[in-house]
Amino acid sequence: MLSVIKQKFFSWVDNRAPRQTMTLLQQRNIYILPTRYGWLMLMILVLILIASTNYQNNMGFMAGFVLLAVGLLSVFYTFRNLKGLEVRCLKAAPVFATENASINVQLTNNTQSQRLAIGVGLSKKSVGYVDVMSQSKSAAIIYLPTSKRGLVDIPRIACSTIFPFGIFEAWSWVRTPYQVLVYPKPIPCPEPLTASNSGIDEGQTREKGSEDFHSLRDYQAGDPIKQVMWKAYARERGLYSKEFEDYVGEHQTLSWDSVAHYEKELAISYLTDAVLTAENSQQVYGLELPQQTVAKGQGPEHLHTCLKALALM
Amino acid sequence: MNVKELPISRQGIVPLLIAIEAMVLLPLWFYIPSWISALTVALLLGKYVMYRKGITPLRWVLLIVVLLCVGGVFLQFKTLNGRDAGIGLIALMYTFKLLEARSYRDASLILFISFFIVVTAFFYSEAIWMGLYLLVAVLSILLGLVALNSPQGVQGLGSVGKISGVTLLQAIPIMVLLFFFFPRSSTPLWSMPTDTQAGSGIDDTMSPGSIGALHTFDDIAFRVDFEGEVPPRSEMYWRGLVLSEFDGFTWFKEEHSPIRQELELPMTSTYQYRVQMEPNNRNWIFGLEDLAEAPDGAYLFSDFTWNRRRQTTKRFIYSAQAYDIDFSQRQLTDLQSERYLQLPSNSNSDTREWAQEQRSNHQSDEAFTRWILSYIHQNQYSYTLTPAVIEVDTIDGFWFDTQEGFCEHYAGAFVYIMRSAGIPARVVTGYQGAEYNPYGDYYIVRQSDAHAWTEVWLEGVGWRRIDPTAAIHPSRVEEGLRSDASSRDGWLEEFGSDVGFDTPNGLFQNLALRWDAIQNFWSETVMGYSQDMQFNWLRKLGIERHQYRYLGYGLLATILLAGLVFGYFVLRGAQKLEPVTKHYLRLLKKLQKHEIPCDRTMGPRDVLQLTRHTSQKVYSRAAPALKTYIAMRYQEQAVDSELLKRFKQQVAKV
Repeated sequence: MLSVIKQKFFSWVDNRAPRQTMTLLQQRNIYILPTRYGWLMLMILVLILIASTNYQNNMGFMAGFVLLAVGLLSVFYTFRNLKGLEVRCLKAAPVFATENASINVQLTNNTQSQRLAIGVGLSKKSVGYVDVMSQSKSAAIIYLPTSKRGLVDIPRIACSTIFPFGIFEAWSWVRTPYQVLVYPKPIPCPEPLTASNSGIDEGQTREKGSEDFHSLRDYQAGDPIKQVMWKAYARERGLYSKEFEDYVGEHQTLSWDSVAHYEKELAISYLTDAVLTAENSQQVYGLELPQQTVAKGQGPEHLHTCLKALALM
Repeated sequence: MNVKELPISRQGIVPLLIAIEAMVLLPLWFYIPSWISALTVALLLGKYVMYRKGITPLRWVLLIVVLLCVGGVFLQFKTLNGRDAGIGLIALMYTFKLLEARSYRDASLILFISFFIVVTAFFYSEAIWMGLYLLVAVLSILLGLVALNSPQGVQGLGSVGKISGVTLLQAIPIMVLLFFFFPRSSTPLWSMPTDTQAGSGIDDTMSPGSIGALHTFDDIAFRVDFEGEVPPRSEMYWRGLVLSEFDGFTWFKEEHSPIRQELELPMTSTYQYRVQMEPNNRNWIFGLEDLAEAPDGAYLFSDFTWNRRRQTTKRFIYSAQAYDIDFSQRQLTDLQSERYLQLPSNSNSDTREWAQEQRSNHQSDEAFTRWILSYIHQNQYSYTLTPAVIEVDTIDGFWFDTQEGFCEHYAGAFVYIMRSAGIPARVVTGYQGAEYNPYGDYYIVRQSDAHAWTEVWLEGVGWRRIDPTAAIHPSRVEEGLRSDASSRDGWLEEFGSDVGFDTPNGLFQNLALRWDAIQNFWSETVMGYSQDMQFNWLRKLGIERHQYRYLGYGLLATILLAGLVFGYFVLRGAQKLEPVTKHYLRLLKKLQKHEIPCDRTMGPRDVLQLTRHTSQKVYSRAAPALKTYIAMRYQEQAVDSELLKRFKQQVAKV
């Protein structure tokens, strides 16, 4: 029952907070309610008024009404603390599943009043606080726990404040169009991957290989013509062949087939781990997935391409 | 970082809380039992030491100490239920809570409970100082709340603390309006236990001769506002009690009953006045002679005194009229004659015989009465507040031997002599005279104005007031009493010109009167604001019926008005944009008017491009402004007033 109401409520909230890169906090998207201490204060206020009526104590009435007036004013002060702030979520860097994605939220205050103790978090109950001085920006980082690989929508972000008196809490839910890319969780494979290595593609090997000059040796029949050191031959120093490092077994194509017999998610994790290992030991690697093939390569961008392919598989 | 989860050990919150508790408890320390006061002070100091040394108290030790304290309070008051016991207990728990406070929750609880503690102090005093205390206490509690709720804690108080001061200033007008409209009740919601403190002032017995020194207190008994004519001070006899039973030593109040039917006496109204009486913890109230119709909440008794059903434990305000009552057509009943002639037969026989002898030398009761007064005037009778103590036959001793005393001696002896001579008489006690306060246009009657005089029944005249003390020759009034007494006591004023008493009008006296005028306003108009006063001003507005409803309307209107006014001012502050943004937003609005689908979420470069692709004409006009904006925002161009002005002009041209 309660969860149904909660669901209805949040779908209503989401309708009012469209996903946009910048959200301006204003009347229509700021909510305000007393905190638990606000309710406590109300109780104390009622107690004071009853006691003052009974003892016909006008001093007590004064105290009660000062309290009431402070409560009334704190509605405006708390509300004002949020109003007019611009909230932007920056694009979040990809993370591996079960790691926390850090979402950078930027608060911009274009007004001339300072905004203190603005809480930013995934829910009102777990927020981190930042101050936003007048005409300045502050950033808050939210850590979003991830569990599954893939593209994850950034959930609604709560911006809340109980400043200055803690009697009322004003808050707003902000939604951003950005998503977090979550890579699969890397798990080392218990048995070595039967890598479909061994320069299947001759041309590619050579092309790659020719970049890594290693040493010279005497020409032997059958050496590729490209590897002959023609400059030395021209100077009549003899026929030499340029020798290249032996890549066989060190440049590999990681194939889905090698892990296909495992459960799908586990298989993906194993491949992820293999990709990371390859990258870390500065190998050249490619990836062969049922729907997609990533050509051999190396470097952070190549790694990202591979991991993204795995994440979205 | 999460404020709610932060321990309060950060940024000097704990010392601030200690200071706030001390501030809040300050007035209570004067009223609650001294061991409780001392313990709360010790706990606060203890908390400070623990805070500095980083010690946290053991829970079970704390629990034992708390239980011991509850036991102590119970032993002190024999109950935990009464008001005083409750307040003592609350004060202790309040400080214990701070001792073990470690979380945001604890600190919040302490601060909000503080508001209630402030109110408990008002049960003891509603003096004008307490108004100041209220302001300072609320300010410090608000400051504590702000510090607790801001991440910088106490460090930022300088700039942040301003908000609590401003809030309090804004709260005051709202408070005043709510105070004005909130419906008051004329009766308590539940009965409260009465206090058992002894009241100062007039007692219901009088034993002249037993008192060696009369201490006069300058405490205020009541204040009086006259409407219209004011009687001369020598005529201001504030009647309180009639003492008619005498056992040879002490005068007692008679058994009397309220007059339920209309007084069938010819009388004329003389003065109208309003009394604001300080609590005296007694049933009787005072009125200007002659008393008739009792004010609301009081009864007229057969001896022409007023009584309330309840004791006056709080300031009591009432309006009344003085009358001239014509008793000439009345006779004393046999029962009354017997009562007002009653004397114990076994004491003071010298005086009785002397009185009977002297009476036979005079024609009438009236002549005899006048002769006694002149006897006092001409013989060595003197006025002193420190008379000799008389062991037995107090009246004989006073009349023939010591011949010194104050009003009680004279009134007692005079009534005794009258009764001995067969003239019905009784002692009346109350206050005589008043001090005029020109700054508030009212009169102050103090405890030191307490007085005793007599009433004598003269055939064909009725009760006649006679003040034998006034017959003392002024030269025999104790030195030092003169100047003091002359300012207030009308009975001496008559002689004032003879002996050249000074009328004090020094600076100090003026200041004191001004101060009293302020206090009077405070206690009468502010603290005395009641249901009667509410209904009175409503009646003046022409609202006779549904008065509660109109008070409710007033309350509602106050809250709405406060919401509108402060909502406007407070929120306007939040909307005040810095100038560059303000002009840029205006520019965007203008572009939208030219049907360029831009909005605030787009970057200025995108807007520039969009404009170029949409309308060349608009672009040529808007481009300079947009480019200036980009320069100011993204190219670190320093924004000075010159540039700002140019930007403004460029926007205006679009």
